[in-house]
Amino acid sequence: MTRPRRSLFFKYFITLFVAAVVPLMLGAVSEAWFGYRDQRLHLNEVLQVEARSAADKIQTFIDDISDQLGWVVQFPWSQSENDRRRIDALRLLQQVPAIVSITLVDQNGIERVFVSRLRLNRIGRGEDLSDDPAVVGARAGRVWYGPVRYRRNSEPYMRIAVAGNRAAAGIVIADINLKLIWDVIAAIKIGGTGHALVVDDSGRLIAHPDISLVLRGGAGSGDFDRLKSNAGAGNGSAVTTAGDDGKPAVALSVLANNVGWTVIAQQPVLEAFESIRAMLWRSLLLIAIGAIVAFALAYWLARRMSGPIRQLEDGVARVGMGQLDHRITIASGDELEQLAVRFNQMAGELAVSQQKSERINRLKQFLAPQVAELVEHSDQRLLDGQRREVVAIFGDLRGFTAFSARAEPDAIMAVLKEYYEAVGAVITRHEATLIRFAGDGVMVLVNAPVACENPAHLGMRLAIEMQAVVQSLADGWCAAGHAMGFGVGIAMGPATVGTVGYEGRLDYTAIGNTINLASRLCSLADDAQILADPAVAEKVKDSIPLVSLGERTIKGYDRSLRLFAVARSGAPGRNPGRQLQRVGI
Amino acid sequence: MRRRDFIACVGAAIAWPVATFAQQPARVYRILWVSTASQPDPFLEGFREGLRARGYVEGKNVAFELRYTLGNSEALRQITSELRRGNIDLAVSGGPATRAMMAVTDVPVLFALSGDPVELGIVKSLEQPGGNFTGTSFLSLELAGKRVELLKETLPKLRTLAVLSNTNHPGEQSEWRATVEACKQFGITPVYVPFFGAPEFDNALGAAANAHADALLVFPDAVTMVHRARLAEFAVAQRLPSMFGWSEYCEAGGLLSYGANQRATYFWLATYADRILRGESPAALPVVQPTKFELIVNLKTAELLHVDLGESILFRANRVIE
Repeated sequence: MTRPRRSLFFKYFITLFVAAVVPLMLGAVSEAWFGYRDQRLHLNEVLQVEARSAADKIQTFIDDISDQLGWVVQFPWSQSENDRRRIDALRLLQQVPAIVSITLVDQNGIERVFVSRLRLNRIGRGEDLSDDPAVVGARAGRVWYGPVRYRRNSEPYMRIAVAGNRAAAGIVIADINLKLIWDVIAAIKIGGTGHALVVDDSGRLIAHPDISLVLRGGAGSGDFDRLKSNAGAGNGSAVTTAGDDGKPAVALSVLANNVGWTVIAQQPVLEAFESIRAMLWRSLLLIAIGAIVAFALAYWLARRMSGPIRQLEDGVARVGMGQLDHRITIASGDELEQLAVRFNQMAGELAVSQQKSERINRLKQFLAPQVAELVEHSDQRLLDGQRREVVAIFGDLRGFTAFSARAEPDAIMAVLKEYYEAVGAVITRHEATLIRFAGDGVMVLVNAPVACENPAHLGMRLAIEMQAVVQSLADGWCAAGHAMGFGVGIAMGPATVGTVGYEGRLDYTAIGNTINLASRLCSLADDAQILADPAVAEKVKDSIPLVSLGERTIKGYDRSLRLFAVARSGAPGRNPGRQLQRVGI
Repeated sequence: MRRRDFIACVGAAIAWPVATFAQQPARVYRILWVSTASQPDPFLEGFREGLRARGYVEGKNVAFELRYTLGNSEALRQITSELRRGNIDLAVSGGPATRAMMAVTDVPVLFALSGDPVELGIVKSLEQPGGNFTGTSFLSLELAGKRVELLKETLPKLRTLAVLSNTNHPGEQSEWRATVEACKQFGITPVYVPFFGAPEFDNALGAAANAHADALLVFPDAVTMVHRARLAEFAVAQRLPSMFGWSEYCEAGGLLSYGANQRATYFWLATYADRILRGESPAALPVVQPTKFELIVNLKTAELLHVDLGESILFRANRVIE
């Protein structure tokens, strides 16, 4: 038998495993996706708040400076008040650490006072600054913000000019050290390593928590410009892009309106999605655990399914090979166990039925097939030893001994075969019991083991018919040159019947006077004669014509017995040519 | 776009543990501290404080090797050869010590200079030092004039100014020139009292005493720093109002000082030390200039000298020692 290409175990296993793992994975993926979306929204908010607050702080930083500058341009210029103005400027310098130097310009654009933290102060009429863009700008818009400059290519500075509300009040120009914005920017922490940075409109770095990047004096402004435009592309929402360190970051930009700078809040992607990552790992772990559990469960279940089926398959094969005592033990408590119980029942029943058929076959040795079935199916005790009324019929070929001494074995066996077949058929037809064939003799029993109505009558008819078929055979044999005849004896009376045998060989036999009498009568009978005892004669005399042969002494019997012969329809010895060896009485 | 981000994020998540394993084991960094001053050293304390603030613990992940040479050039040369042996992760120095280490090219050197490091030739430019040197510059050159100006404002009758200067200090000549320039503007006659290193210091004090000056200006430098208490005593004894560059001089009894806060500078220098120890190259770390300059006034000394400090000076003082 070939094994199936895909075993049941494999199919069950895959199905169960997939059924458990696929929903788990779908759950994890959808959780990750929604978690990512939420985190993205949250991140957007955080970055927006931080960038906005940074921009506000920077605007406040700058606005504070311009407000403070406003103090020194409240009064109109007059002659000889340079010293008061100088003190004002020095106080302002003291007040605002970011201011490095202050230049006070009168209404004509002439420098009147210059104070500095580093350089020497100047008092009195100085240069004409009326063409200075700071002066021009402040005159036009009251407050003017200069471009960012890098002193000695390193430190970022810018100038702020503020005009008084009257032209006579003149203009103040302050040089601002932008490194001081660092305090504002460095204080902004987004998560662990996220930060804010400030670039001007051409992408030059103004403020960064890492001050050394600012001090590179606008070097790398291309990178920052790109970051600025990438972050700006988000239009107020966070964008994933390369951060200022080149690593992927989530960035968002906000404009500081007064100075036109861009504040960028950024957080490394790795950190921004830290919680998502942790969740993903948790999910992966869960999937792994789930897969292991699913694997084990699927394996176990598939085993539970396919194991008993294998057992059943194996059982069927064994029983098929005739091992009927094979039993299957399945304790799964489900339909499979039920199936195994049924299977065991079936095997048991098969064994019983096989035994029965064996017994029937044995019965058929001495009973007609239908009788054998009957005996088997009605009552086994029919075969037990018992004493009962039987009709015994004996038949015997006349002249067979001489024939067998002369003839070839083939011819002998052919004669015997014809003879057995003919007699057997008659016995079967009358549902009588064939006790045995012995050489040229045959012994038949009626009314045992199966009782019948009117056994004497049945036995007599059987005897007549048997005589008739053998006579017709004998005609053929005579024609072939073998002179043989057939005699029959029939007697009725009580006899001991029962089965006897050894080692599987079983015979049904009958013992008693009746049997001996029938055998004697057979010996006494002439060719074509049927001799009956008085008991049989009594029973059949009304339907079968009998001829009384008178009292005869029979060997083994004390008193003589009255014998009867069946009256022949034709003349006795209708075949006078036959020379039969007579057995003397 | 979103989906691609999401997938990238998932990818990064898978790669994440690999990144965590790449952390370096802790090791003890050796820092060589070279100074021409002497202990106790307030600058070293500032630097140590800065390192502590960055999470360094002495003996655990950082170890100092202190070399105080007091202007001994032979000792400085020895340090240079010591540096070449290569068991030092970082050297920190100031003033003449930095100049002595210019021959060293394979060990990162952090400096704190009063002069211009570009002029000195240890960095290519302030924004891109380009070598193994980086640090901070106090811009003393520009401040030299400012000190004369402040002294003039304090003492309007100032005519003669004794200037005590260690010629061994890098950038000393430029500082002197800036001082002469300022004196010219204020009508002051500067009297130059130079000395070369510590051995000549006592002679210099004598020369300063004989200068018949109205005030004393001392250039900030390791030697004058070591002798700041003596200098303060000397100035009071000679009835000379004095002007210094660093607040420590005032704390020791000097009248005035104007300049960057040294301790804060060294404290800040520790952040560069940290970055260099973490593997950044000093070549890409710009030289930092101080943003805050403080005016310190010692009122006790002013009383001793019977100097009347006007409000115009006092309101500008960042710290007044009373």
